[in-house]
Amino acid sequence: MEIILKKAGEQVLDIARQKGVEAEAFLLHARELGIEIIDGRMDTLKEAEEIGIGIRIINDGRVGFVYSSDLSGPAIAEAVNHALSISRYTVADEHNKLPQGNYAYPAMALFDDNIVSTSLEAKIEMARQIERVARASDPRVRIIERAGYDDQEFTAVIMNTHGLYAAGRANSCGLYIFLVAEEENDAQNGFSFMSKKRIQELQPDAVGQEAARRAVRSLNARSINSAQMPCIMEPYVVTRFLGLFAQVVDAGAVQKGKSLWEKQIGQQVASTQVSLVDDSTYAEGIAAFPFDGEGIPAQRNTVIKDGVLQTFLYDSYTAGKAGVKSTGNGQRGSFRSLPYVGTSNFILQPGNKSPDQLIREVQKGFYVTELMGMHTANPISGDFSLGASGLMIENGQLTYPVRGVTIAGNMVKFSKDIEALGNDLCFFGSRAAATIRLNSMSIAGE
Amino acid sequence: MLDKNLISRVLDEAMQKGSDFAEIYYEEKQVSNVFCEDNRIEKVNSGRERGAGIRAVKDGNTAYVYTSDLSLEGLLKAAAVANHVASAQVRSIDREINLSIKEPRFNMEYKRLPEQVDFEEKIEQVLAANERTRNYAQEIRQVTVAAGDMQRKIQIANSNGDLIEEEQARVRLIVNAVASREGMVQTGYESAGTVGGWELLDNINFAEMGEKAARLAVEMLSARPAPAGRMPVVMASEAGGTMVHEACGHGLEADLVQKGLSVYRKQLGEMVAAEGVSVIDDATLPGRYGSYRFDDEGNYGQRQALIDNGELKAYLYDYLTASKEGKKFSANGRRESYQHKPIPRMSNTFIAPGKDDPASILKDTRSGLLVKKMGGGQVNTTNGDFVFDVQEAYIISEGEIKYPVRGATLIGNGPQVLGDIDMLGNDLGFSIGTCGKDGQGVPVADAQPTIRIKQMTVGGTAVEDGPQIKRIRRK
Repeated sequence: MEIILKKAGEQVLDIARQKGVEAEAFLLHARELGIEIIDGRMDTLKEAEEIGIGIRIINDGRVGFVYSSDLSGPAIAEAVNHALSISRYTVADEHNKLPQGNYAYPAMALFDDNIVSTSLEAKIEMARQIERVARASDPRVRIIERAGYDDQEFTAVIMNTHGLYAAGRANSCGLYIFLVAEEENDAQNGFSFMSKKRIQELQPDAVGQEAARRAVRSLNARSINSAQMPCIMEPYVVTRFLGLFAQVVDAGAVQKGKSLWEKQIGQQVASTQVSLVDDSTYAEGIAAFPFDGEGIPAQRNTVIKDGVLQTFLYDSYTAGKAGVKSTGNGQRGSFRSLPYVGTSNFILQPGNKSPDQLIREVQKGFYVTELMGMHTANPISGDFSLGASGLMIENGQLTYPVRGVTIAGNMVKFSKDIEALGNDLCFFGSRAAATIRLNSMSIAGE
Repeated sequence: MLDKNLISRVLDEAMQKGSDFAEIYYEEKQVSNVFCEDNRIEKVNSGRERGAGIRAVKDGNTAYVYTSDLSLEGLLKAAAVANHVASAQVRSIDREINLSIKEPRFNMEYKRLPEQVDFEEKIEQVLAANERTRNYAQEIRQVTVAAGDMQRKIQIANSNGDLIEEEQARVRLIVNAVASREGMVQTGYESAGTVGGWELLDNINFAEMGEKAARLAVEMLSARPAPAGRMPVVMASEAGGTMVHEACGHGLEADLVQKGLSVYRKQLGEMVAAEGVSVIDDATLPGRYGSYRFDDEGNYGQRQALIDNGELKAYLYDYLTASKEGKKFSANGRRESYQHKPIPRMSNTFIAPGKDDPASILKDTRSGLLVKKMGGGQVNTTNGDFVFDVQEAYIISEGEIKYPVRGATLIGNGPQVLGDIDMLGNDLGFSIGTCGKDGQGVPVADAQPTIRIKQMTVGGTAVEDGPQIKRIRRK
């Protein structure tokens, strides 16, 4: 596959050189398999394959970008010419530069052949197992919305007119389940998912049990009175807040005045308990890859150390503008977009207390297990006001389930209020966190 | 477009092992985007894509295969994979699939298709909007303006012999303004979109949209923190329909209902909203962002009353969910692209206007929250709990607007909130959005008249008792 991609990329570079402009070709071939089970039967089988190219032309500092799913000679020639012609509409910027070549990329084992060789039947069976375990673990688990297995693999090639050539291949797999537990007049959702680099590490039993536990413990939840109290958040909930952190450490947002941490490098932005890293070299994480979307080698970046903001995350453009080196965070979701600053394996470093201990130390508090409306949080002002559900903590014990409340606050205070972290680091997709405890949070209920 | 004979061969292959239904969805799409930030045109992009998705259904189970390899071999290979869903040794139909074109029932007018409008003009419009937004006030610190369009040809053919050939275009405009003063930062957002062409600019002034976003951002700088607790809420028609979309629309999608994942299941014929409240889904509204002549399974777009005078009348179906209930009719099978299988989705969904004068609704409210602009939302369809954020809101006291508040979230339960609507205005205001479900985004429009809800939980940062108020005050 790499050869087919490389050939198309070379054509782009040849035309660009003739025209005297800088060019980059990002080529992607991706495959995907998805199996969804309902009541033991395969409800949906999805198989997908796509190929495409994203062409970035830099013409005297002006960028033009065109993508195409057609890698034929004429289609590529047309796309390059189109990219060149639209580049004249953008403003020239001296920082629009492509990375220089000759990088040494880390050798990483990112392809599990067993994902490919495992039979469809075995994969279906894994998905069935999640469903069986979930049903067996509690009679109140009545509805399986869906349970499934999926895997994806891709080959990426990046080449540019400075002689950069990067090629790599990776795959990963995952399991998930969404279900509903019912009791009398109440119904509550539960879910669980797991992504792994190796198929042997998938644990269908754990996924099934976890989802059942989440749903059942929420049954017959009620609202509480508005109050201010300590809050403990499950790792999953914390990883959703990490999405907000990712936005405020994005150098692009910073440079445009859209980050509340704009002037905070070297400052205490979080409690001393907090350390945050972005690490594309962490081979167990599903975002591990030897280079980023522009061909910059993978690296480990410490973003926050003991509460002090160390660096923002940069791609080539934002790095050039800031006069620093790219941190290797030029991401691409597909061949359809220009690289943008994004996180890879984004990990909030765990602490040393067990989650139980974190709870035991609270007299009266709120244990948050689910948030709604996270996408409405504002990374610029830092304000958030989110629907939340979870469990009450009374005298160091989890007691009754709570729903229909909102938690509100601001990220500035949130980060500084993190007084303790658990030792239960968990990955959800490419973000990882442990349980955290905040000393105070505003909760709105009845 | 694909050749008719090729389509027949592929469908035939997908029926070889006894599938009940097979379908091919072909799409060729062109997109373009202009993006302005930091007072300059930062990105100009365009892209082209072609691909096909092949679906085979057997006993309600689906195999979906998509590929960008559109050669006969590529498509036959994809069809053979789709065949996995069935295992019979015989084909399900013994005749050839004779495809015949299904004609649309109404015209969709495109005066200026995206391909007919050059980048110069789009850029001029974007820059004008940027300038008006920036010049609105000195507090404006950052402005993002984006204009995007999409034009596509689709072909849908199925084993029933239907062949649909359709051309669609959409345009979407966005302005985001950031204002700051003394360390406080607030944002304002405006968007507009159409299923149509650039004639959208005949009806909408892009620069004025920008000014509106700027005004909101600046106004919210001096807003007080929103209160927290239960109170009456008036939602102005201009706030748009995020509420109806979340509070009821998703819960009426038949896939969720059939799986038992909706608070509205087994409620047909029951009162699920206050008397006088009707909810309609209408794909046939001209130019609206969620409109279509054919859904993405080739069925006719329709106007349907989902709730009539408080009574639940219908759910939203796609082919699969309709056939599970033995229904012939479906009109809401939609998909993001050839890379997705169709699922039941809303089109343009709205609460029908009532009889009250909007001004009198406000006058009649002694205290509460007036919502003038909603943001994004989310719903848990299983129990009906929903939440959405509020971008512009004011405190009402003695029937009058007192002062703006920021940072409010509204949280409620679908059937409860619909049951608590006690006043319905005679106006109607639309908002647009991209609705996400199962990882697929489709364009939708939502609308509602000015309405009053007796009681709703407002999640704000201002807590009434004592020291907490200090907490949210800024330096």
